[in-house]
Amino acid sequence: MPEPRKTPLYDMHVKLGGRIVNFEDWLMPVQFEGVIVEHNWTRQHAGIFDISHMTEFMVEGPDTIPLLKTLLTNSIGIGDFKAQYNHMCYPNGGVVDDLYIYRESEEKVRIIANAQPFETEGKDFNWIRDHIGNLNVTITDLSLERARFAFQGPETMKLLNPITTDDITTIKRFNWIYTEVKTTKGNIPIFLSRTGYTGEDDFSPELGSFEISCDKKYAEIIFQTFLDTGAKPIGLGARDSLRLECCFALYGHEINENITPIEANLSWVVKEKEGFQFIGQDVILKQKKEGTSRISVGLNLVNKGILRHGYKVFKDGKEIGYITSGTFAPTVGKSVGLALIESKFKEIGQELDVQIRNKFKKAVVVKTPFYSRGRKI
Amino acid sequence: MEFPTDLKYAETHEWVKVEGDIAIVGITDHAQDQLGEIVFAELPEVGDTFEKGEEMCSVESSKAVGEALAPVSGEIVEINEALEDEPEKINADPYGEGFLVKIKMSDPSELDSLLDAEGYKATLG
Repeated sequence: MPEPRKTPLYDMHVKLGGRIVNFEDWLMPVQFEGVIVEHNWTRQHAGIFDISHMTEFMVEGPDTIPLLKTLLTNSIGIGDFKAQYNHMCYPNGGVVDDLYIYRESEEKVRIIANAQPFETEGKDFNWIRDHIGNLNVTITDLSLERARFAFQGPETMKLLNPITTDDITTIKRFNWIYTEVKTTKGNIPIFLSRTGYTGEDDFSPELGSFEISCDKKYAEIIFQTFLDTGAKPIGLGARDSLRLECCFALYGHEINENITPIEANLSWVVKEKEGFQFIGQDVILKQKKEGTSRISVGLNLVNKGILRHGYKVFKDGKEIGYITSGTFAPTVGKSVGLALIESKFKEIGQELDVQIRNKFKKAVVVKTPFYSRGRKI
Repeated sequence: MEFPTDLKYAETHEWVKVEGDIAIVGITDHAQDQLGEIVFAELPEVGDTFEKGEEMCSVESSKAVGEALAPVSGEIVEINEALEDEPEKINADPYGEGFLVKIKMSDPSELDSLLDAEGYKATLG
């Protein structure tokens, strides 16, 4: 196995005191000050996440939109400079990956998708490329040429707007622009999208969070410029607890090659498209209409303890599913988790048992998400 | 990082303070630092017995589950009930208010196989 990879920001993470772990064969900071401290800081102020381990592609050519409509589950029917969350599925309805598309024009769409370990390196890129067929499309892998950041939290607008050359408060949620960051080394071009994985966006001009991509040669100066605003570096630990409070899916947990978007309770990501059949749609559209025998639900642990991925869930002594993600949720102050269970037990208030080591602990099905900023327009 | 010299240490990151035939047990400063902010400690019950090296407690942070092993054999005579509501005491005071359990030792000679502070520190490299 090759050595784990380093993002362009690795040396800065080490200097900032980041505790480095191997995540998907990338050496990434799991925490700087502490997971809960960073989680709370992001909810109350603003944090910077290195997400350069993720993958980024540019799909171009006259048949770009038709290709994406055959590969992805959502509508794809968005305008220029808009972003949309999507799943890319196998014929069985299981998920190749979840990703965002960012449309620049009818003939140019950027994709940002999950990191891949060595074992599945190039999974998304190859899947897309191998389905181009006779279509007039090219796909370019930008993953290693660029650095990516998330700038998230309620103070993001206040901190980021003064250092960009455009007024970013006018960017609406799920929209993006090309702009520049004012740094001590001059203005640096970036891709800036009002999207995120923390839930810190209420759709208003005042409270929104962003994701950024730039040429990797500018990674360090951009990171430093962001940190100089007063935003703190945040590790992968808080990234996970922040997303889980919002019930955002994590590939390999809530979704994988054997769990469909409908089973993951993400049927809104699936849209029938006129004139196009997307891969997996026979299974997925049927499930959307008729329901599935298992479904993802939110749980609160009633007894003390922490839910973890893989713990088994029981009802009246019978195994009915398992925990896909769990954590202590700092903002709501509860032990929470997502579980993939038999659909007949999905009602809010349903009492279940979770096996933690050799003990059974009580859990209850609750409304999701566990945390929400709500929508203020 | 602190490693008090009046304690004994297991290579698996537990410390022992001996008071007569009672061993007060916790996890080391290094262990709590590695785990990060501790959000839950699952302790055994008074009366449970453990052999040296058996899994005795689970100490969970937001990202990881750490297992504390019994550094000596014996019977649990007291658990640190304060940890139920304030598991973060393990981070704040690992050798004091953050202790895990007290064990009535069945074979105090097992203490001889534990490390002193210098020996433990050396294992951390």
